[in-house]
Amino acid sequence: MRTPPVLTRGVSPGASAGADSHCAAALASPAPGRRLRLTGALIGLPAALVVVVMASLVLGSNHVSLGQVLTALVDRSDDPGAIVWGSRVPRTVLGLVVGACLGVAGAVMQGQTRNPLADPGLFGVSAGASLAVVLGIYLADVTSVLAILWLAFVGAVVASLVVFGVAALGRGLASPVPLAIAGMAVSALLGAVTSFLVLTDEATLAGYRIWVVGSLSGRTLSGIGPALAIAAAGAVLAVLNARSLDTLALGAELATGLGENLVRARLVGLGAITLLTASAVAITGPIGFVGLTAPHVARSLVGGSHARLLPASALVGAIVLLGCDVVGRLIGGMGEVSVGVVLSVLGGGVFVTIVRRGRMAQL
Amino acid sequence: MKIRSPRRALTAALSAIVATAALTACGAASSSDDDSASDASATSSASAGPWSWTDDTGNAIELDSQPTRVAAYADQALALLSYGIKPVAIFGRVDVASDPRFADYDLSGVAIVGNSYGEIDLEALAAASPQLIVTGIYPTDRKGTLDTSGPYYGVADAEQQKQLEKIAPVGAIKIGGEGLDVVESTTALAESLGADKDDVADDKAEFEEAAQELGEAAKEHPDIEVTQLYADADGLYVVKIADEPETQMYAGFGVNYTDLNPGGDYYWDIYSWENAAKMMSGDVILANVEGYQAKQLAKQPTFADDPALKAGQVYSWNGAAMDYTSQAKQMEKLADLIDDAKDVA
Repeated sequence: MRTPPVLTRGVSPGASAGADSHCAAALASPAPGRRLRLTGALIGLPAALVVVVMASLVLGSNHVSLGQVLTALVDRSDDPGAIVWGSRVPRTVLGLVVGACLGVAGAVMQGQTRNPLADPGLFGVSAGASLAVVLGIYLADVTSVLAILWLAFVGAVVASLVVFGVAALGRGLASPVPLAIAGMAVSALLGAVTSFLVLTDEATLAGYRIWVVGSLSGRTLSGIGPALAIAAAGAVLAVLNARSLDTLALGAELATGLGENLVRARLVGLGAITLLTASAVAITGPIGFVGLTAPHVARSLVGGSHARLLPASALVGAIVLLGCDVVGRLIGGMGEVSVGVVLSVLGGGVFVTIVRRGRMAQL
Repeated sequence: MKIRSPRRALTAALSAIVATAALTACGAASSSDDDSASDASATSSASAGPWSWTDDTGNAIELDSQPTRVAAYADQALALLSYGIKPVAIFGRVDVASDPRFADYDLSGVAIVGNSYGEIDLEALAAASPQLIVTGIYPTDRKGTLDTSGPYYGVADAEQQKQLEKIAPVGAIKIGGEGLDVVESTTALAESLGADKDDVADDKAEFEEAAQELGEAAKEHPDIEVTQLYADADGLYVVKIADEPETQMYAGFGVNYTDLNPGGDYYWDIYSWENAAKMMSGDVILANVEGYQAKQLAKQPTFADDPALKAGQVYSWNGAAMDYTSQAKQMEKLADLIDDAKDVA
């Protein structure tokens, strides 16, 4: 999507696409409405996070009473069937980490491409991770979480490098379009190989199916240290990229004019996206919609300045992912519905609403 | 447990859950009665003269003479082999050469034309020039409904099935309902294909002896409860005893299985890891070879207290072919497990 250059920092291309009058209005006054919304977000997002975390600890497919949960939280030895410490605490922690990673990765991706519909998977990261995992299952019957984590990570990094290389060889990095096209091409190619392996080998399909429907079920915190470290590194890169993302929002030419080193800005951003997505994918398997929608919601709350947008996207991502996981636990009877499935169903609806709202606002 | 492609059942179950997301998964409990409507009525005939076989879908296959060249899906091939009938071609859903169930048989001269589900080398199959292709078909519900418009088991899709039909007529054994019916249907086909009657009688005697031993083991240890399940990161899938022919049959011989919720959804009871404690009534766990085994089960904090797990009574369980000999061996194995088991739950 092409967007007209916008002359303000802090107004995202997405929100302002084709709405110059809007921008003018935003420029003219500090917009009391926005300020109010910002204050609301400052209080509302952390509050919502606390609510979701509490819901995640209290609610589940096994209806343990609130009292029992609270007792177990205080005294670990009084945990009924290890449900609180063995299941709910780990999946709450993992849900927060993965949601935040995807939210930030989505915000960086959308900033890099100046495309509000960009998904963290756009540069081939998810496809690379998926193929690496499938290859691992196919060739070596890999099942351990740690091995899958490293496979996903390596696959994501390799795919990113290939995409970056292809884009750099071609029309260069000034415009995000070659990166996106290279990403799509590489994703399609990797996806085809993945499909081929999965469809021709039932055993691989079996292992892959479990992994590909993103889920927080059955995960424990043991051995996820590396994933957390990778996520933290990605978060640092994202923060370092925040200023560049604001400049890039003005368009590559203006950004260069302002002294932005495009290659560096792209590399740091791509690094952030790769590391964040890889660690998220490694923990839960690929999960859609969070990376796409969290930045949207965050942007509508705090505006387009990435210094605010990145943490807000992290919070929204964490809230959405964990919230959907709680929903999935409650609608499966004695079983559960994977958070990836809940997100595909709910996320689709939410996304349509966002797109419609966006259009309405522009009108 | 038969290799009933747990994943496919899971996928089906999951999609059902998603479809009825707002409703709790609590379908109308249909009766567990089995209407084995179409038992194989294989016409045992002499080698000369026309041959006919009405398979379990009701499809009558008529040939000019008794087929001597039979291609079969792995499970049915195993059964035929046990009756001394060597298929000319086998297709499996796992690698046939390394499938331990084939270890006792000499497969030289047999064309292996498929090693994963739905991946059948049609040219190689045609080159083996079979006169008959045998596979299985699984019911889609507890009533035993057979979806004959879809592909049979081991076949990718209806299109591939058409290709198979062009090579040779395709017949299916129904893998559902009462286990004994499945064994008898399989045996009737083997006899119709020329299995030696005396050998079959010997096999049957061996089967009956094993069934009796199993019954005695169960009777001697009435407190030993056996849980048959499949497990993975999503949770535990406990087999419904009446819905799996093997467990249905062994339960009939007296085995005390975990069967907490015989109604409801077909084939599995699904427990999230949070709900694991609700199914821990078994003393012996038979874990489907394709899912989590004892080591992985032990890593789930909510399953760590399972008495069978703590007592080291979790065993890998692979589906056996539905012939007398394979079933006899399977029952001997189960009888030993029950004999050796400690009552821990």
